[in-house]
Amino acid sequence: MNQKFKYVLMFVALLFIQGAIAQTISGTVTDNYGTPVPSVNVIEKGTTNGTSTDFDGNYTIDVSSTSGTLLFSSLGFVAKEVAIGGKTSINISLVEDVEQLGEVVVTALGIKKEAKAIGYAATEVGGEELATVKVTNAINSLQGKVAGVNITSNSTGAAGSSRVVIRGNNTLTGNNQPLYIIDGIPIGNDNNGAAGMWGGSDGGDGISSINPDDIESVRVLKGGAATALYGSRGGNGVILITTKGGTSEQKGFGVEVSSSVTFDALNTGILDFQHEYGQGTRGRVPANEAEAFDLGNSAWGAKLDGSPVVQWDGVERPYSYVGDNSSRFYRTGSTFVNTVALSSNAENMNYRLSLSNMDNEDIMPNSGLNRKSFSLNSGATLSEKITTQVNAKYIVEKVQNRPRLSDSPGNANYTVALLAPNVDVRNMQPGMNEDLSENAYSSNIYSTNPYFAAYNFSNEDVKHRIIASTSIRYDMLDWLYLSGRVGTDHYTRKSTSLEPYGTAFKPLGGMQEQERIYTQVDADLMLGLDKDITDKFSTSAFVGVNSNHIKYEELNLGGNDFIVPGFEDISNLANQSRSRLFNERKIGSVYGSLELAYDRWAYLTFTGRNDWFSTLSYPGKDTSNNVFYPSANASLVLSDALELPSAITFMKLRGGYSEVGGGGDEAYKLAPTYELFGQGHLGQPLGRVSGSTVPNAALVPWTKSEVEIGLDARFFDNRLSLDLAVYKNETTDDIVNATTSIYSGYSSATANLGKLENKGVEFLLSFTPVRSEKFNWTSSINGSFNESLIVETNAEGQPVSLDQARSQNVQIQHEVGQRFGKIVGVSYVRDDAGTIVYDINSDGTPLAQEGDRVILGDGVAPWAMGWSNNFTFGDFNLSFLIDGKFGGQVFSGTNTFAYGSGLHKETLEGRVNGLTISGIDGATNQPFTTTVTPEFLQDYYGRINNIAEQFVEDADYIKFRELSFGYSFPKEILERTFLTSANVSIIGRNLFYIQRSADNIDPESAYSAGNSQGLEYFGVPSTRSYGLSLNVKF
Amino acid sequence: MKKILFILSIVLLMGSCDDGFEDINVDPTKPNQVPVTSKLTAAQLFTSGERYENWRANLIYQSTMMQHYATTTGYWSGDKYTWNKGYASSLIDRYYENPVKSVEDILIQLDEEGSPEEMKAITRILRVFIYSRLTDLYGDIPYSEAGKAVIEGILQPKYDAQSEIYADMLKELEESAAALGSGTSGFGSADLFYAGDQAKWKRFANSMMLRLGLRLIKVDPTASQAWVTKAIAGGVMESNADIAKVEHTVGPEGVNQNGIGEVFQADDNQRMSKTFIDFLQDDPRLPILATRFSDKSNDPADLKGLPNGLDLDMLMTNTGEETTDEYAEPNREIMTRRDSPMFFQTYAEVEFMLAEAALRWGLAGGDPEPHYNAGVRAAMKMLELDSPDAAIDDADIDAYLLAKPFDAANALEQISTQYWAATYLNEYEAFSNWRRTGFPVLVPVNYPGNETGGTIPRRLTYSVGDQSNNPENYAEAIARQGPDVLTTRVWWDVE
Repeated sequence: MNQKFKYVLMFVALLFIQGAIAQTISGTVTDNYGTPVPSVNVIEKGTTNGTSTDFDGNYTIDVSSTSGTLLFSSLGFVAKEVAIGGKTSINISLVEDVEQLGEVVVTALGIKKEAKAIGYAATEVGGEELATVKVTNAINSLQGKVAGVNITSNSTGAAGSSRVVIRGNNTLTGNNQPLYIIDGIPIGNDNNGAAGMWGGSDGGDGISSINPDDIESVRVLKGGAATALYGSRGGNGVILITTKGGTSEQKGFGVEVSSSVTFDALNTGILDFQHEYGQGTRGRVPANEAEAFDLGNSAWGAKLDGSPVVQWDGVERPYSYVGDNSSRFYRTGSTFVNTVALSSNAENMNYRLSLSNMDNEDIMPNSGLNRKSFSLNSGATLSEKITTQVNAKYIVEKVQNRPRLSDSPGNANYTVALLAPNVDVRNMQPGMNEDLSENAYSSNIYSTNPYFAAYNFSNEDVKHRIIASTSIRYDMLDWLYLSGRVGTDHYTRKSTSLEPYGTAFKPLGGMQEQERIYTQVDADLMLGLDKDITDKFSTSAFVGVNSNHIKYEELNLGGNDFIVPGFEDISNLANQSRSRLFNERKIGSVYGSLELAYDRWAYLTFTGRNDWFSTLSYPGKDTSNNVFYPSANASLVLSDALELPSAITFMKLRGGYSEVGGGGDEAYKLAPTYELFGQGHLGQPLGRVSGSTVPNAALVPWTKSEVEIGLDARFFDNRLSLDLAVYKNETTDDIVNATTSIYSGYSSATANLGKLENKGVEFLLSFTPVRSEKFNWTSSINGSFNESLIVETNAEGQPVSLDQARSQNVQIQHEVGQRFGKIVGVSYVRDDAGTIVYDINSDGTPLAQEGDRVILGDGVAPWAMGWSNNFTFGDFNLSFLIDGKFGGQVFSGTNTFAYGSGLHKETLEGRVNGLTISGIDGATNQPFTTTVTPEFLQDYYGRINNIAEQFVEDADYIKFRELSFGYSFPKEILERTFLTSANVSIIGRNLFYIQRSADNIDPESAYSAGNSQGLEYFGVPSTRSYGLSLNVKF
Repeated sequence: MKKILFILSIVLLMGSCDDGFEDINVDPTKPNQVPVTSKLTAAQLFTSGERYENWRANLIYQSTMMQHYATTTGYWSGDKYTWNKGYASSLIDRYYENPVKSVEDILIQLDEEGSPEEMKAITRILRVFIYSRLTDLYGDIPYSEAGKAVIEGILQPKYDAQSEIYADMLKELEESAAALGSGTSGFGSADLFYAGDQAKWKRFANSMMLRLGLRLIKVDPTASQAWVTKAIAGGVMESNADIAKVEHTVGPEGVNQNGIGEVFQADDNQRMSKTFIDFLQDDPRLPILATRFSDKSNDPADLKGLPNGLDLDMLMTNTGEETTDEYAEPNREIMTRRDSPMFFQTYAEVEFMLAEAALRWGLAGGDPEPHYNAGVRAAMKMLELDSPDAAIDDADIDAYLLAKPFDAANALEQISTQYWAATYLNEYEAFSNWRRTGFPVLVPVNYPGNETGGTIPRRLTYSVGDQSNNPENYAEAIARQGPDVLTTRVWWDVE
């Protein structure tokens, strides 16, 4: 009654106002980026008088009063009221409002949900973020962009792998990297080989195969509440990658062409060694060719004076600084990426076909990769109730000469970095002598001529990979559906690696041929419902089953000792060997989810899943092979539930609890096995216990529980927003390969042990400092702190050792009560006052005593941050990203050798008048002060060289990570062409360090993507990249 | 609704989610047992060792400390008594994961399969050999609990005192020798040492008892004499046909090859030490063992030895030579190629020990001289087992013995020095016997920055990993034996 009365009054009033005056107001409506917004409703407030904007965002309205208010509203934007205030022209910009529209996000298992319904953190990164500034491994583009996602791209060459860890490390020795789901299908991300203390190359990982131009979006599900439905495999977080399909393109038929070129230039500002003293020993130059050859990298010679001095090859050359060897040896790398995509979007059928070619030349001479990707995504509506989707990718990846890292044999980086200042690397060309032997520059056969390493050592691998999935959804009733999906990730990888005939440390050479075959098949069947129970209550729920099956096989043929020099084939090897490796594992699962919603502002979701693991099954085993894990999360949209001050545009509180568990990453860990190995001896077979890990027949699943709460708040028409998450989780009964005493006969033992806790905070603060028609500036800062704490190891609380550095004085280790992955190494011996204790050797030189192995640093930085900015002015766009990590340390192998060989600038001290050392004499425990004569400095520094403490440095950095400056051709120009959109960008990546703590090394130059972070040891030097990117659609 | 029920029933059917999982997790590439004979073959090859420890422990350290070799190359740590911990622990690093683990596993399998005692005896003798090499080099080592991670679940073995290890090893040898009869053992030709010949194994057991018994001479002379007496009574090696050795082949894989031969293929930095070349003057072995680096001449007049403890700078200062090319190097064309046999204990050594037993206690017939002569003859004749090109005429040996006859006045030095020459390349034994007897008298070097204060090391050091992986037991061993340094003496090596 009351309501009706109001309407009547209003109608009467309108009748009066209508005819009163007629004032015309016009203007343009744009969005945050200055793009015109068509079809915006423009209403004179309090009236029914209204119009809408045209295609170019222009409107004209006759208003009854110039003191009134205009109300602008459009789907997907926050409505805005503007007082007319006598103006005749009103231009405004509208802010997108995804939440109000009911933004749909893809959650676990591809279930689409309203963003406001989810009770956990999930961050999305648009495909353009990865496609504009392209890197050879697309996932590296996420670095610094998502809070809580810690990406380490190592110094392992363009085809190397990256380490992605979400919310800290969850397992002591197992896989800590997330699960990658591409279009609903899990893919394999195993490393195909990594460098360790004895050297090797990074064989690349699984995620690097994905073409950045095909990526529609990347969604990061961080915590357990978000990933519990993926079961054990989601324990480290999940990265959902959706690739572009026909639906995301324009209506009808379209073509998109993107092209980019990036050049990688050696970052010459990092390695900063002394240039004053040349090759030699005890302050003098090499006496002759043999000594020069013998002295190798030793820069303990005389002061460079330009006099002729013989070098390793017997040639006398001026004894003076020859300039930077690195910039001579390495080349400018380049990456060309070209993608053509055809798409079509018809009523019942859509598809997108893309072809892409990436061609990379690494900065390491003779090294590079080529990747060709073919992708077809196709969706069809077969009937009103049945929709299907088929996605397939075929990727051919060919990598030539993955650089050798870490230990010196075959590692060009080692030699180039450590040449004495008077030795020019170019004189080492060619790397091979005419008799096919290595053109050795040193009597140390393990330090390889870099040209020999680059051009004569070789490895090549070709990977053919298919990632394909098909899914079908049957909407049985309008609230009930059945969906099924099956997909596979299958690859074969053939690799050949060669140590040629003539290699100094392997005179007869050798080679290896390897074929790896990997197949993962994943299938889901799901029954779901969405139903409103009452006006206010609604529910959605599903149950499903999943099967995951991974098979891996490896065939190896190899051998040593070429018979015919220079003929490189297995048949030419005097000694041949072969082996086969096989690994199979399965997970079977049942799961379900129930979501309850009240009045579209309160949501509660429960999930449960039970996984059965083949890796925990064995005939006769009586402990559990399966685990159930529940999760619950809730979301409260306070801005909908309560009347909040108008400054608060949106506010949501969320919280969740989850449990997850797992069965370990490896098969066959439960029972001891034996093997017949090699090819026998004198007709007798050779048998032994297989493997060096002690099996464990009683292994049970590990479990992890997590609590997470968060806040999503937006203020001032979304000009300021804050997303905050706090979490804490705990892993128990971790499945660990714990290091054992070498005397046990085994190097490690598999066991359920250890407790690990992660606590952290993540925030994303976004703001729009300037928003105007012509100029917009948006900025966001994300940051995270994560502490992974080792709560327990085994019953004795013993440390768990991971990898050690080749110098064998430092390793990465987990210690109870400490953070994950401590750097533990040889320390100085000090007296109570902290003074260093020395042994005084027979000639009076103090040699620092080698102390116990102590904790020297954190291999994983707990703090990370990123600051991204985007400026648009008209058709121009400028964006940049600055990121940093703090609180971690790195052990530098480079600086260790630089000390030992007299290349480090700090070793200059004392070369003229000797170095005065004060300390404690270990023999007498009395203080001493002595001067080390220049002649014996190398003994003094040579000993320090063994003390890891000296070479553990802060790995903190702030890097100017990414820059792009783009221009989008305006519509007015494009209208006259066949193009629908075109833009061009100048891009830069890793441009410079704003701040860097460590000397001579890039703090991001670890050589392994494994759990042992914090060891630097002669990886590929870091680069700056710059280039050009072009994208057109028609 | 029917449809839903249909689907739900599929779900339930699939619900038995671990069908066949038990079989999937059985490794199809690995059997759950292999013939025990094949394990013995492998264990014997691993006792001979890989290139890794033959290079580091045997050659880089001991061959230069024992002045068989000398080098100017920095990483040959033993030449200058510097400390490379990884090289020093290399025998531990390889032996425990390979031969130690294997023999412990073989013993269990022999028990389980109810195998004849003689097979156990052979394995126990091999086990004693392996541990004796380890304990002689390092002192106190894990012995009673080692290699038993799977067998007994011991992941952190304690270090046993060397005195206890010796007592047990000697007991093991005694019991094993007693258990051996005649004829061929169940190992048959899988036994690379003696093709299953029980009598030869018995003589090897007693010869090892002789070796280990004599090791006790400084710490417990009474026990030493008792064990030596027992060993001789039990019957020791009688000819070069009794030599404990493994034959190698050039391939197909590393494990098949003589580890020292592999080193010689990769590393030519070693020269014959001046000490050794001086000893070999007028010795028919000289042109067989050595050759001049520059032109491969093996004319004795061309063969000069390199003094130990020099770098190239010092060489230049001392001799004016820029390189070591004019010095003698091992004659790698003839001796110790990749398919040469590896010797563990030789008949020559046994004769020298008998000579010593005669000298000390009047055992073995009471006269050292015939044993000495037999030892020298055997040491020279055994070279032909390496290569037919290494054969030495009996006449040359007679001439040598005539020119350098047994010298009763310096008998122990002479016997021990010949022992040192006969254990060339079995540097483990050369080092142990030198520490035991003090002969030959080696003049230590004193290179700047050396680790030992200019004395020849008395042991090598433990694997550093145990400091964190087995800290309590490691600390206990250090507390008992002394600091984990090169100069600490093992139990039997009392001053």
